[in-house]
Amino acid sequence: MPQTHSALELSFRMGETLLENGAEISRVQETMERVVQSYQVESFNVYVITNAIFVTGTEAGVEHAAKLKHVPSTSTHLGRICAVNQLSREIAQGGHTVEEASARLEEASRLPYPPLPLAVLSCAVGSAAFSYLFGGSPFDAFVAFFCGVALELYLHFAGKRGMSKFLTNLSASALVTLCGGALFLCGLGHNMDKIIIGSIIRLVPGVALTTSIRDFFHGDYLSGAIRMLDAVLVGGCIAVGVGFVVKLLSTLTGGALL
Amino acid sequence: MNGLSALHLLLQTAVAFASTIAFAVIFHTPRREWLYTGLTGGAGWLVYLLASGLGSGAVGASFLATLALTALSRMFSFARRAPVTVFLICGIFPLVPGAGIYYTGYYFFMGSNAQALDKGLETIKIAVAIALGIGIVLSLPQALFSFKRKGR
Repeated sequence: MPQTHSALELSFRMGETLLENGAEISRVQETMERVVQSYQVESFNVYVITNAIFVTGTEAGVEHAAKLKHVPSTSTHLGRICAVNQLSREIAQGGHTVEEASARLEEASRLPYPPLPLAVLSCAVGSAAFSYLFGGSPFDAFVAFFCGVALELYLHFAGKRGMSKFLTNLSASALVTLCGGALFLCGLGHNMDKIIIGSIIRLVPGVALTTSIRDFFHGDYLSGAIRMLDAVLVGGCIAVGVGFVVKLLSTLTGGALL
Repeated sequence: MNGLSALHLLLQTAVAFASTIAFAVIFHTPRREWLYTGLTGGAGWLVYLLASGLGSGAVGASFLATLALTALSRMFSFARRAPVTVFLICGIFPLVPGAGIYYTGYYFFMGSNAQALDKGLETIKIAVAIALGIGIVLSLPQALFSFKRKGR
């Protein structure tokens, strides 16, 4: 679109930010409509699916033709969703000109990811806690802590290399299993299964599942189906990665492990 | 319920609280919402434990826990003026069938087809139970989750 500070452009970029950070379809659509209603836009039509936004609109007498954009799904950033949500509420209350809102949006969409050490620490703590919750002993949780450290470091590395989602999940679950299995074989921990279960929760498609359900119940069946397929594929990848390595370990050690 | 199991419940809930906050950090939730995501996750897990303690299977317990968790998410969403997603996504993690995925893969590769199928079906059932739980609570009218807002 020609103008840098048009309300259509603003609405479009807000939708884009929400979508790529993992918001559900109805929120994206409602936010875009709400923003447009707050400014002088004569007509507006929007259609959103999981990985694209389609918009047509008329602003200041000029008709803007269909604007399509592919929005690749990246990682979930709830902080950005919160920030855009707050901004859209302020716009609806009439608190911002288009220029101000654009500047605020720019800030919101650049909210940083937490530093790597913090991410590693939380992944490790999460792994340990889940290992304990699913019936592991404190000793198992301790071992899962280290699997969590290895996992988050690996995910960071894979993300930087732009590795495909499929391969990332497959290899990361294999890595976690290898890590947990190796530590277990060295005599650390009581239950290998609890250690590994705790550590793979980081990979389990909880976000895709939740968002898919929300899309389905809002009648966005296409987007719901896309995310559901995503959840099933990721779950399958994890199962394959884990199963393969367990099989490998048990063949190598010549005994059944559980 | 004896003292030991009450202590057990308390400890488990506290760990679920901590694990949910750990995931809130991973998903870049704003710091001011951490406490509330933790409460959501802890409450969900507590309901799960109580339900399974009273003889409900994993599927039923997941369903009940999801109902409680989603209701709480909606209340927090209203009180904190933040999207429901924030509390829901973080709080759901203790219930997501990670163990089911693990055992399915394990038995599948170990050649125990019957057990693999069994675990695979259970995983899907739990996922469906979670889906129904979220769907039902999110479809209820907002008035049920609104209360007098403090301040402002």
